[in-house]
Amino acid sequence: MSNKYSLKYRLTNWARLGISYVILAVTAAIAIFPIYYIIITSVNPIPTLASITLRSLLPENPSLEAYYYILFKEPFLLWLRNSLILAGGTIVITVIIAFITGIALSRFNVPGKRALMITIYVMTFFPFAATALPLYLMFASLHLINSYIGLILAYSGGTAIFSSYLVKIFIDRIPRDYEEAALIDGLSRLGAFFRILLPMAKPIIAFVALLAFMGAYTDYALANAFITSGNMWTLTLGMYYLAFVNRATLYNVLAAFSVLMGVPIFIIFIAFQKYLVQIYAMGGVKA
Amino acid sequence: MDSLQNLNRVLIQYLYLLPIIAVALFLFLYPVAYAVYISFTNFNLYHLFTYAFIGLKVYEQILTSGTFYTLLLNTVIWTVGSLVPMVVVGFILALVLNQRDIKGRNVFFTLLLVPWAFPAYISLVIWSGMWNYEYGIVNKFLGLFGIPPINWLTYTNTAWAALILTNLWLSFPYYTSVFLSSLQSIPSELYDIATVDGASAWQKFRSITLPLMRSAIAFVSVGGFVFTWNNFYPIYILTGGGPGISTDILVVYTYQEAFSYGYYNIAAAYSVISTIILAIMAIMMLRIGKVLEVIT
Repeated sequence: MSNKYSLKYRLTNWARLGISYVILAVTAAIAIFPIYYIIITSVNPIPTLASITLRSLLPENPSLEAYYYILFKEPFLLWLRNSLILAGGTIVITVIIAFITGIALSRFNVPGKRALMITIYVMTFFPFAATALPLYLMFASLHLINSYIGLILAYSGGTAIFSSYLVKIFIDRIPRDYEEAALIDGLSRLGAFFRILLPMAKPIIAFVALLAFMGAYTDYALANAFITSGNMWTLTLGMYYLAFVNRATLYNVLAAFSVLMGVPIFIIFIAFQKYLVQIYAMGGVKA
Repeated sequence: MDSLQNLNRVLIQYLYLLPIIAVALFLFLYPVAYAVYISFTNFNLYHLFTYAFIGLKVYEQILTSGTFYTLLLNTVIWTVGSLVPMVVVGFILALVLNQRDIKGRNVFFTLLLVPWAFPAYISLVIWSGMWNYEYGIVNKFLGLFGIPPINWLTYTNTAWAALILTNLWLSFPYYTSVFLSSLQSIPSELYDIATVDGASAWQKFRSITLPLMRSAIAFVSVGGFVFTWNNFYPIYILTGGGPGISTDILVVYTYQEAFSYGYYNIAAAYSVISTIILAIMAIMMLRIGKVLEVIT
């Protein structure tokens, strides 16, 4: 190998690595900037968007005033309670339905299974707007407007269908030998499912619970349609009001709101990223 | 006797499927059927109790109006305009991260996941402040380079740019991570053999990486197409479809017609039309991408 060749080789190698790191560094900076910006703004004693300058990206006198304000001067805790009730209900219904359906679709061979599987997959394609309006009209005639149950049912419809599909794919990968051994040991079929498959399906159950939680916790569109009374408001409705309707909102208070509402989710996601990314890749799905 | 037992077993197995069938019927198929039904009536906020069957009149009205074609074109611009950069950027970043001699891969990967990890709804509220004409941080950064402030969300072209860039920010981590995990599932022996045979980096990419990534790209693109077509929040929060309806898409317009203006029948007809168009395209793409073989 000539000297010239190896020098050329080393140069292209450096260029390749250099460009790669520049791409990664720039993308990473853009990726984290808005979150950094909102966290910094929340501890900045800057009340309006107008007074934000590039210099305020490094605050000199950080304060937690905005957090005090959003927690105690605005009905944040009431909105949080409502959001958590809705999310909790959605998790319970979604997990139960998804687990039972996932098992059945994976382990049983009933006529019409393929058709049902395709129907489920196709239903995940439907725009939510296609069902939001009729559900709203249906629930209005059943007096389920302005009730937790109505919204929980509306959320569960979407998440249960999607989650069943995911659980099915996951359980397909668990060998049947485990349950068959349990059946030989005298466990009933139902017993085998709950005693053997349920513990093994824990990761996907947790994932589905997170999906259901996010569905309810970050929904604005359905909540906006289904809720009219102020004491039923959720965090998303409150945020929309403070950001776009009430022009008197202080910008650092809105930032503190964003941090309080978003950062716990963010931490969960980053903590479990390896495992979450794996499941997303498996199902080819997007939240 | 045997067949009776068999029948019994099948019935018990159907019991397991009962909940999902109930959900599909009452929270899905019935509402969709109901939407189809009211799209044939004059049912709206002004005819709540005494509405009548008016046949195809609503559809006629929609299909002969310019609004529908504007919305359809916008939806295509939004979907294709978002999807192409998302897939390309996602793929390039996955290739960059997948190089064997990149140091700190896990750190970079985690940083790139940040937009996905933060709830999109909140990010959009933050972005709407960042695009602000007078006070937004985007214009302040541009000011550093001597670029005068741009009224991003008030003009159609810049509004599209802002929308698509925001959507790219929101979505690229998903594409990067899915592509990265399928890149990592390609056996490294294939590349080693190609290197021994004297293949260049480009030849390896063309004849190993691309063919093996084909199904992942197809799968993700079909899903991404449908998701973006139906993606409600970016446009609803950033522009509300404005100025006028110049950045409005079918799903947002449908929602506004129903819940802002009370034209239930028009909204229902729009959702029917939108779903039909989407279904046709999704079926075509499923055929091409052979996705159904993978899921059943």
